[in-house]
Amino acid sequence: MIGLQEVSHRHDDQVRAAGSHPVPKGEPILELRGLQKNYGAVEALKPANMTFLSGEVHAIVGENGAGKSTLIKLLTGVIARSAGEVRWCGETVELATPNEAIARGINAVHQEVVLCPHLSVAANMFLGDEMSRRGVMRKRAMTDAAQGVLDDLGFNLPANAELGSLTIGQQQLVATARAAMRGTQFLIFDEPTAYLTRQESAQLFRLIRRLQSEGVTIVYISHRLEEVFELADRVSVLRDGTHVGTRAISETNETELIALMINRSIEQIYHKEHFERGETIVETRGLSGPGFREISLSVRAGEIVGLYGLIGAGRSEFALGLYGRNPVSGGEIFWQGRKTAIANERDAMELGIALAPESRRDQGLCLNLPIGLNINLPVFKRLTRGLTINRAEEASNADRQIRDLNIKTPSRRVLASAMSGGNQQKIVIGRWLSHGAKLFIFDEPTVGVDVGTKAEIYRLFARLLENGAGIILISSYLPEVYELADRLHVFRQGRLVASHDYRGASHEEVLAQAINA
Amino acid sequence: MSVETVESAGPRPKKGVSILFGLTLLGLLLALWLALGVSTQAFWTPNNISNLLRQGAMTAILAVGQTFVIITAGIDLSVGAVVGFTSVIVAWLLAAGVPLWLAIIATLAIGVLIGAFHAFGIVRMGLPPFIITLATLTSLRGIGLLITNGSTISITHDAFTTFSRADFLGVPSLFWMVIVVAIPAFVFLHLSRFGRYLFAVGSNREAARLSGVNVDRTIYLAYILSSTCAAFVGLLLASRIGIGNATQAEGWELQAIASSVIGGTSLFGAVGSVHGPLLGAFILATINNGANLLNVNSFWQRIITGLLIIVIVYFDQLRRRGAR
Repeated sequence: MIGLQEVSHRHDDQVRAAGSHPVPKGEPILELRGLQKNYGAVEALKPANMTFLSGEVHAIVGENGAGKSTLIKLLTGVIARSAGEVRWCGETVELATPNEAIARGINAVHQEVVLCPHLSVAANMFLGDEMSRRGVMRKRAMTDAAQGVLDDLGFNLPANAELGSLTIGQQQLVATARAAMRGTQFLIFDEPTAYLTRQESAQLFRLIRRLQSEGVTIVYISHRLEEVFELADRVSVLRDGTHVGTRAISETNETELIALMINRSIEQIYHKEHFERGETIVETRGLSGPGFREISLSVRAGEIVGLYGLIGAGRSEFALGLYGRNPVSGGEIFWQGRKTAIANERDAMELGIALAPESRRDQGLCLNLPIGLNINLPVFKRLTRGLTINRAEEASNADRQIRDLNIKTPSRRVLASAMSGGNQQKIVIGRWLSHGAKLFIFDEPTVGVDVGTKAEIYRLFARLLENGAGIILISSYLPEVYELADRLHVFRQGRLVASHDYRGASHEEVLAQAINA
Repeated sequence: MSVETVESAGPRPKKGVSILFGLTLLGLLLALWLALGVSTQAFWTPNNISNLLRQGAMTAILAVGQTFVIITAGIDLSVGAVVGFTSVIVAWLLAAGVPLWLAIIATLAIGVLIGAFHAFGIVRMGLPPFIITLATLTSLRGIGLLITNGSTISITHDAFTTFSRADFLGVPSLFWMVIVVAIPAFVFLHLSRFGRYLFAVGSNREAARLSGVNVDRTIYLAYILSSTCAAFVGLLLASRIGIGNATQAEGWELQAIASSVIGGTSLFGAVGSVHGPLLGAFILATINNGANLLNVNSFWQRIITGLLIIVIVYFDQLRRRGAR
């Protein structure tokens, strides 16, 4: 077994050349003194004093907009600080550019993979640092070395595969392996498990523990507190740009962390109200299509139907089929008792189906357009008077959703890309509230969404049910569907394999059905 | 409450910045005019101004059509070829004795068909916009040459050929045509829902689709408008030079794209306006006109145009980054 740090000796030289020297385990490796970042008058990070100890796994938790991303960007040299000091291995450093951060051994693995999808896994792992002999790349040697690392980590990935052909989770593992090879001493993970399956998460956790045992300091940012308790030695909490505290993991618990993060208890997060179930809104009989087969289920007014399964189990595909995005190849759809064909998205919308899709970035939002336009997108027809849009109504319609949903923006004209995950999700939801629907499909509505906004979204579900709508909730996070769904369907490999009433089975049973254990 | 406190501090709304950029371009145009007025005596003569307005008019109309396409994150390389091709068509129809009004409608209809073909290639055949419009660029020139057997068709219709030289209220009729195109274009892009759909499709096709936007129809619309603008310019050009010739308007597609980009349109889609490309087109026309008056070698004009594109787009990028 070779240590990751030994894979490429040249990198060790680089690191040493950059002037850093090993810090004994448990001693401060990185210290922030009054580190601060302002965007104009907005304080993204208020003066923070934090210490990271060599060789620890240090979790950072906080709602979206709490300042976590700002902190990462400061540490990786992506943005410049407004004030304060960073001490690395005891000496003051600038961290002015990403290259400086990397040369010193500070690296980050981002939630959304930033590698080249058309290159091979090996080429990506060596990107910018290729092995070559007399100007010619040593492709074979790189593939072998990369395969060695992957095998050694137990990743079971081919090094010559095209990166884009892998799942997002696998790509994330590649990104991690890449960082690990580069003599990284300080590795930041930004919500790494958001898109990972359980097996992939487990592999990632093994990798993190292994890096830790090799002396790498890990900063782990996550919304999922159970992961924090599984991995971390210490945890720091950020709230509204303020560092509100750091705890040893053994001296704290979930309740305390949530209280620090939002001042709200865990019972209040999974807000659940039971309503009288009304008429059946939609029923599918043996519906088949790309990625799902023979799905029969129904949704009644006033109920949440949960779809649980691993990523790729066919839940989103089913939703896209029902919504008319992808063609269905067999089966029937009954809408309020009448047999219906849904040929495209507009048919679905006309019936009264709304879809908040899985990926906000790829399917949900026009990121480089204003919030207002994103909210109004389905209703421009309604806002049109004669040839032109009624601009006053356009504005008031967007402003109403921004106000009702408490979307944190100075104006409807701000671009959607400037919003945090939680606020972006609210924009997608606001779009459908303003359009109106009988059946709301929420596909992973709380991925990358902070705890506070989660609670708001769950309360909104209750409001929709109260008004006689039905909800299909797709989630890979079991506690969420488990606590919220009146009826829970388990998907596996494109099929509906089990159904339960509210809390009708244990977590373990449901999970076993999803992974066929 | 917290929303109100953020109000004063947050990033500046996008709309204000876009108006500011428009004003900067207008300022640049006026500065060029002032500078040329000071350095040459020939610039501020009615004759030269009329000439300038005529020179810029055709590029301006092409640039507006091109902008619709670029906002959807596409590109229309065929517009120069469409201009040449439709000049042949209208000359051919007039030579065959077709009444003027019918020849004009038929020529514009051919513009519609070419645009529809582009959209068909993109939507149904899945071809990249660059490829399908590059293909029609070369094919249309070929068809035009076949029709004319490589030569030109003279237009003897007097009413048609005098139009482009005429003035109305002291302003060249060609410039009036810019206004005739620009006003409905402005209403379409900035005030109607179809304009919003162009931006949405250019920003994120899938999100637009899942929000109920008819993406295919929006793409048809954009390419049809671009080709129809080009066919309209083909009519104007035929009127101006009095002939139909398939090799005319060589490279105009690049002029149109340059005008659009100088006018603040982003080649990545979802950013653009109607007034931007108009200003861009007249800035380019002014540079050419001024270079002629100053006796600058025409080869230099090309170089200056290239440098200008780099400088303006660079500052535009800086501004966008700053606004984030």
